[in-house]
Amino acid sequence: MPVTGKHVVDMMESVAAIKEALPYLLHGSVVTMGLVCGAMILGLTLGIFLAVGQVYGGAVLRSVIGVYVWFFRGVPLLVLLFLFYFGLFSLLNINLSAFTVAAIVLGLISSAYQSQIFRGAIVSLPEGQFKAARALGMSDRKSIFYIILPQALRLSIPAWSNEYSIVLKDSAVAYALGVMEIMARAHFVASRTYEHFPLYFTAGGIFLVLTYLGTKGLGILEKKVSIPGYTR
Amino acid sequence: MGKKILSCLIVLMAFVLVTSVSAKEKVYINGIDANFPPFAYVDKNGVPDGFDVKAVDWIAKEMGFKVTHKPMDWDGIIPSLKARKIDFIASGMSVTDKRKQEVNFTVPYWVITQVLVVPKDSTLTVDQVFSNGNKVGVQRGTSEATWMKENLIQKGKNFVLREYDSSPLSVEDVVNGRIIAAAMDDSPAKDAVRKRPVKILGSFGMHDENFAYAVRKQDKELLKMLNEGLKKLMADPYWEELKKTYKP
Repeated sequence: MPVTGKHVVDMMESVAAIKEALPYLLHGSVVTMGLVCGAMILGLTLGIFLAVGQVYGGAVLRSVIGVYVWFFRGVPLLVLLFLFYFGLFSLLNINLSAFTVAAIVLGLISSAYQSQIFRGAIVSLPEGQFKAARALGMSDRKSIFYIILPQALRLSIPAWSNEYSIVLKDSAVAYALGVMEIMARAHFVASRTYEHFPLYFTAGGIFLVLTYLGTKGLGILEKKVSIPGYTR
Repeated sequence: MGKKILSCLIVLMAFVLVTSVSAKEKVYINGIDANFPPFAYVDKNGVPDGFDVKAVDWIAKEMGFKVTHKPMDWDGIIPSLKARKIDFIASGMSVTDKRKQEVNFTVPYWVITQVLVVPKDSTLTVDQVFSNGNKVGVQRGTSEATWMKENLIQKGKNFVLREYDSSPLSVEDVVNGRIIAAAMDDSPAKDAVRKRPVKILGSFGMHDENFAYAVRKQDKELLKMLNEGLKKLMADPYWEELKKTYKP
């Protein structure tokens, strides 16, 4: 297709539309990062307990956690969002904002995945570590929190940054609940201006940058906290 | 060990729940479909704007209550109302018998005609659109989507209904040529004609509909207040001004 004057005008209009919408979309990235940070922190906290429980817990606890992980890994995000937002929390008469519900649901799902990351890291540690800690007179709990977990968490960082990029991308689905994140904003501006392509293009670009920044930051963290002389 | 972990989980969950619920002064929340210009959309700065938004702002000021506008997905807007996520809907909602079973409506404030939008150079007639297995677009969860299924497809018209998240997206696919026409209210259709290479083919036989605000069945007070406000607004010069500004 030859490039004509009309194409140039279209291009300029698209660039103008992106320029105009960019501050509004970038503000959405704050909302998105809020969602992702909330979800990752909730997922991290729950995930650690789930992993420890699954490795060291009794048979009952292990099977309860197994069901939990199976459930949150097995049901689609969109279904869980609607289930919690319109179903569960309404039924319990707890009126939470769409943002809170989305962060909690993303966090619960992420905790299921993160628990498996941490579990893998814990079982990959030499068994002697735990035995040595016990032999030095540390309690079970102390051994896990001071000897096992610090090593396991370090090992988990690469897989964890993978989980970060997945949660970041999943967070776009929260727009279905009316959370004003990047995707919802791109959609709203496109409806007003009819500049669909440049706006979705920009939204995708912002997600790419956020993924890059997050994984880069976690890469730096991994180097910072690595134990000298400890090679994997 | 196991018990401790379980109780930690419960405490954490409780913490998350408690911190997110806080008591606030009552502000009414108006749920809008921000993909529905000119009745409701977000402006350049991301602030809700549109015919319905400005009308509600006027009513709130007149009747002395506070209101915010919350953009929502249209598909889930009535469930959101019933689940108390929002307090009323002033966003170009057509009054239908089915919706009347779920919510109460105020007095109607606008009559809307359903039309077909086609590419500017299209030579099709309305009858030709609904034949040959053509693909026709419509917004999901709208009264026109229901009507087309019940009155055209079930009565043997040979076309395929494609459902979209919003009318502008269906217009986009008309322009792209993926569908042959899109059905929508005449106001967003006029908005599309101003912005895209499309034209309005005309009505397709669906009866006219009324727009009204929707409130929960039990909120009789709010209904009364909105009704009173709407009547005052429609008698005020500002109503004509709104029509001139937004050209619905």
